Amino acid sequence: MSIATMVAELAKGMVVSTEVFVLTLLFSLPLGLILSFGRMSANAPLRLVTKIYISLMRGTPLMLQLIVVYFAPFYVFGIKISSGYRFTAVILAFVLNYAAYFAEIYRAGIESIPVGQYEAARVLGYNRVQTFFKIILPQVIKRILPPVTNETITLVKDTSLAFVLAVTEMFTVAKQIAAKESSVMPLMAAGAFYYIFNLVVAMIMERLEKKMSYFR
Amino acid sequence: MEEYVEISHMKKSFDGLSVLKDISLSVRKGEVVSIIGPSGSGKSTLLRCATMLDRMDGGSLSYLGKKAAWEENGKCVYASKNEMKQIHRQFGLVFQNFNLFPHYTVLKNIIDAPVSVDKVPVKEAKERAEALLAKLGLADKRDAYPYQLSGGQQQRVSIARALALQPKVLFFDEPTSALDPELTGEVLKVIKELAAEHMTMIIVTHEMQFAKELSDRIIFMEQGVIQAQGTPEEIFSCDNERVRDFIGKFQG
Repeated sequence: MSIATMVAELAKGMVVSTEVFVLTLLFSLPLGLILSFGRMSANAPLRLVTKIYISLMRGTPLMLQLIVVYFAPFYVFGIKISSGYRFTAVILAFVLNYAAYFAEIYRAGIESIPVGQYEAARVLGYNRVQTFFKIILPQVIKRILPPVTNETITLVKDTSLAFVLAVTEMFTVAKQIAAKESSVMPLMAAGAFYYIFNLVVAMIMERLEKKMSYFR
Repeated sequence: MEEYVEISHMKKSFDGLSVLKDISLSVRKGEVVSIIGPSGSGKSTLLRCATMLDRMDGGSLSYLGKKAAWEENGKCVYASKNEMKQIHRQFGLVFQNFNLFPHYTVLKNIIDAPVSVDKVPVKEAKERAEALLAKLGLADKRDAYPYQLSGGQQQRVSIARALALQPKVLFFDEPTSALDPELTGEVLKVIKELAAEHMTMIIVTHEMQFAKELSDRIIFMEQGVIQAQGTPEEIFSCDNERVRDFIGKFQG
């Protein structure tokens, strides 16, 4: 197999990896925010449930979570699993997992905002929704960008776990070619793909950080 | 005389520790009242309860005759959310640490509450803000962010922010305590100008000379009670030993 064909094959796999990456971020970022509200809620049972959820999601392997999400409809509800569900299950498991990590990042960010900001907003008559979205959240976003970048970079590499549910993402392709050709070259090339992808991610995040540097 | 703020028998305790013991105080339209006293005397708590940042445990509170909180069957109850909105509009608070919104420019800090809370048209809010900025000597700072300003400038912006909502009463919680000595003057000057315009103000302060010059009435608080009150002359020539001790410390 020529290098060009190999790269073309890997690039096809990369499309799937990118889909997993984008969809996971798209859903887990807002879900994480909602979870962080639960985690900081005044309602004790809700707080406990969210805490346990986050603890489970962070404390067990994503690989296991993928398997559970895939087989749960059958074993728990007796629903026949269609093959189309595999990709959905991957996204679902990734979103549920990453939302837990993001929730804790949001929580740290929200709790780091000085209480005086809430008090000023309250005295000026802002309601709770306005206070959060206009006053608190922009400051939170600025503060949490570095840890979010970390998670995002980890996510890029984690997409390779989709192979567990036989979703042919880039690293699965690399392993197949490597086995067929008895060469480590495809694996090295896959590494280069991840590295370049993450370079782009880091660059975008750095841009965002710069964009938020207009205030302190 | 019109009573703008009426506090009667206000009580507040934290974890069983009584911080405010039966405080009664009314402030008339146009009056400037300074509250002095040692730290831990309950001055700031009084201000926080009066501005409803803290809930009081007992007593009553009203603004311009409208009841904000009162006692019912031994418990303190607050007005409904809608009534509270109206009441909130009557007063403003200037914090010790300014608490400006760091992600907003000076102008946006001032116009955002009028626009998004009071639904003032943007154009009008801007005109109001610009007039305030000019008055407070900050016209050239309208597009700056808070971190680019000195403490004294930040505090003046926060005064402008409070004034933009056109409150009837303005509270100050140690407005110069977070400032370097050379910056306190510019803030005190602004407050004096407001006093000259007969803005109703209640000021918690450690600036004795300032309180003496500008107040219609000075209140001396200690251990959660009002120990003495009167005109500046009365307070500064008071026989009360505690008051004399306290003022003596400041005059060195």
